[in-house]
Amino acid sequence: MLHILQMLLGAIETPGSFRVKPPYPKSIPPRIKPRGKAADVKPGTPLPGPQLGFVTTPDDLLVEDTGMPSRIDKAFSWDAPISAHGLMHMVITNAAKGDPYSIDTLFMYMANMSWNSSMNVPAVIDHLTAKDEATGEYKIPRIIYSDAYFSEMVPYADLILPDTTYLERWDCISLLDRPISDADGPADAIRHPVVQPDRDVRGFQDVLIDLGWRVGLQAFTKPDGSRKFPGGYPDYIVNHERGPGVGPLAGWRGKDGESFGKGEPNPKQLERYIANGGFHHHELAPEQRYMKFANRAYMEWAHAKGFLESTDRLVMQLYCEPLQRFRLAAEGHGAVTPPETHRHRIKTYFDPLPFWYEPFEEKAIDLNEFPMHAITQRPMHMYHSWGSQNAWLRQITAANRLFMSRGTAAEMQIVDDDWVWITSHQGRVKAQVKLMEGVNPETVWTWNAIGKRSGAWGLDKDAPEATRRFLLNHLIGELLPEREGGYRFSNSDPITGQAAWYDLRVRIEKADGEPPGTSPRFEPLTPPKGVGRSGR
Amino acid sequence: MTALPLATEKKLGLVIDLDTCVGCQACVTSCKEWNTGGYSAPLSDEQPYGADPHGAWLNRVHSYEAGDGAKGRTVHFPRSCLHCETPACVTVCPTGASYKRGEDGIVLVNPDTCIGCKLCSWACPYGAREYDYTDGIMKKCTLCIDRIYNETLSPEDRQPACVRACPTGARHFGDLGDKESAVSKLVAARGGYDLLPELGFKPTNKYLPPRPRKVEATTRAAPTEAISASDGSPAERLFAWVDKVLSA
Repeated sequence: MLHILQMLLGAIETPGSFRVKPPYPKSIPPRIKPRGKAADVKPGTPLPGPQLGFVTTPDDLLVEDTGMPSRIDKAFSWDAPISAHGLMHMVITNAAKGDPYSIDTLFMYMANMSWNSSMNVPAVIDHLTAKDEATGEYKIPRIIYSDAYFSEMVPYADLILPDTTYLERWDCISLLDRPISDADGPADAIRHPVVQPDRDVRGFQDVLIDLGWRVGLQAFTKPDGSRKFPGGYPDYIVNHERGPGVGPLAGWRGKDGESFGKGEPNPKQLERYIANGGFHHHELAPEQRYMKFANRAYMEWAHAKGFLESTDRLVMQLYCEPLQRFRLAAEGHGAVTPPETHRHRIKTYFDPLPFWYEPFEEKAIDLNEFPMHAITQRPMHMYHSWGSQNAWLRQITAANRLFMSRGTAAEMQIVDDDWVWITSHQGRVKAQVKLMEGVNPETVWTWNAIGKRSGAWGLDKDAPEATRRFLLNHLIGELLPEREGGYRFSNSDPITGQAAWYDLRVRIEKADGEPPGTSPRFEPLTPPKGVGRSGR
Repeated sequence: MTALPLATEKKLGLVIDLDTCVGCQACVTSCKEWNTGGYSAPLSDEQPYGADPHGAWLNRVHSYEAGDGAKGRTVHFPRSCLHCETPACVTVCPTGASYKRGEDGIVLVNPDTCIGCKLCSWACPYGAREYDYTDGIMKKCTLCIDRIYNETLSPEDRQPACVRACPTGARHFGDLGDKESAVSKLVAARGGYDLLPELGFKPTNKYLPPRPRKVEATTRAAPTEAISASDGSPAERLFAWVDKVLSA
């Protein structure tokens, strides 16, 4: 909605307004389709393209002839057709329920899906250990997981691939992914090892490149069968080419290292990045910096560098044609139409013009019973920090409170430091309140992911992260109530599949007469021998 | 006890903008990172993975709310040594370990002669000194003395780590004794002020106050009627919606 307003006001890419960071803008939407239709999936061969992409018509969906989802997360199905990021938050629930099907192996990297990255944590923990009563076999028989830490997910894995920390490995913050550009020019960056690991670990990218070769993927294997990237990830960063002359890093390409954007691999490219502080920034000429979606000087340059497929001006869409195509399908037009169970939903929400509608959770519950909104955010100092419990950051934040409006609290006879129950339709958690002025009277909030399960992350079992913390995740359902026919949709946006974390409604009640302390607590985790600090 | 220089050639210090500080703690962690390997090394941590983690930091940011209701605002307040012109932390020092430099006004602790008596931390009204429990001595902001004169660093890095790290440009470093310096002009333009001037220690560091709000927060308007999803042509609905949005 914000971007629609910016479009209406002409406040995009003009001086002082919202600006776009190269390599964006790209064509709208980008011409990359998700692969994974039945014809794409051939045992022993890679998919012919990326597993994520931009769906623009029902023909692009990854659905079976019955209309049911092809993917375990139900992305790019009628449940969430334009789910460009996938629906990772649904994978464990779907796999355990066998909906749309069961899987034999779940392989995950650095995603704390048994804790703060899942909705309805208690149910997800149950799913991870649930067994089929008939066979006695786990519903998710094999779990492979890679992490640098003893996170809450590790105890549920059958096989752990111990990862390095960021200080011990190579990384590439690439223009092909989410780079560090600013609006005045593209920039990309690397991480390089500054300490050697003191334990038996490998960077996960090295592991993937190794696995890719072991299973014979062409991209990682030379015609003679030997490894294509014997130097591991740094070798890949320098020598992999997505297209001719286009690789993970745009700076110092070409044999002489003098090309930007396109050029042959430069064997000394990483040395150049390190000498420059780990990044490369290309500054656009003044005449290229604004109105990039229709600026000839910019577009011709961006096309030459491979950022744009053509120099045709990019048209922003107020009336969103791809959404209308889905609505037409719901009305019966075209070859691919939604199953009866989904028709009304697609017809309603795939409106080519933006509109407001009541969030699904609010519609399904009694708002008098759950009158407050509850939201979370990551503290700035921990935003992208996977090891946010490290010795320094946890001195800044190691416990979390429920922040609540002073006026609202006074009406409920709640004072600072009181303990309260936060109850949703899904469950309840106990927390200690901190009153404040700067919050909407009908909203409570807290810092996200400060809480850790006791025994996890190398912390002492009595660490504040385990004793004076709570997660709102326990209160958020991952599934919406049953619809006619018994089908349960994911608690996600009906178009993009974005998890509906912010739709949560709660009520707050004083926890009178109960001992202080957060709740629920889960059984403490015990690190395997040799993991974590000795003697603790 | 310890004497002060009669005058200093420069008055190096920080100017901290309370209007643009967002409380991200980047200055806090970058200070810790530089100084635990620099002049003040190490900055020790107690119970780093235990029930009560705490340690020595030379710069901390505290967040407060000021004012009630819609007039309330959150203020993030970075706190470090102010490098006072007449600092009591120096004059109370029984060994001469605490001292103020004549050439630039920086207040330092000599770790070889500090006996950890903590008198300076009692004398400082700003809470700027930190006792290192492992080292048994006092630590404090050095204005990154091992950066600002360090010719092995590139010129843009010859400023305190906190200033270099600040993503919003809320921290500035320079000579506050020179009226023509960029920091002095900034203080003059923005009404920079001293913390607790009535105590008479003449802090060198200055704080820039939050700017007054342009528009007072308004009470929430009654929700407008939801736009019907089914009536009218798309064009009519677009114009109706635009009209509603722009006239709200």
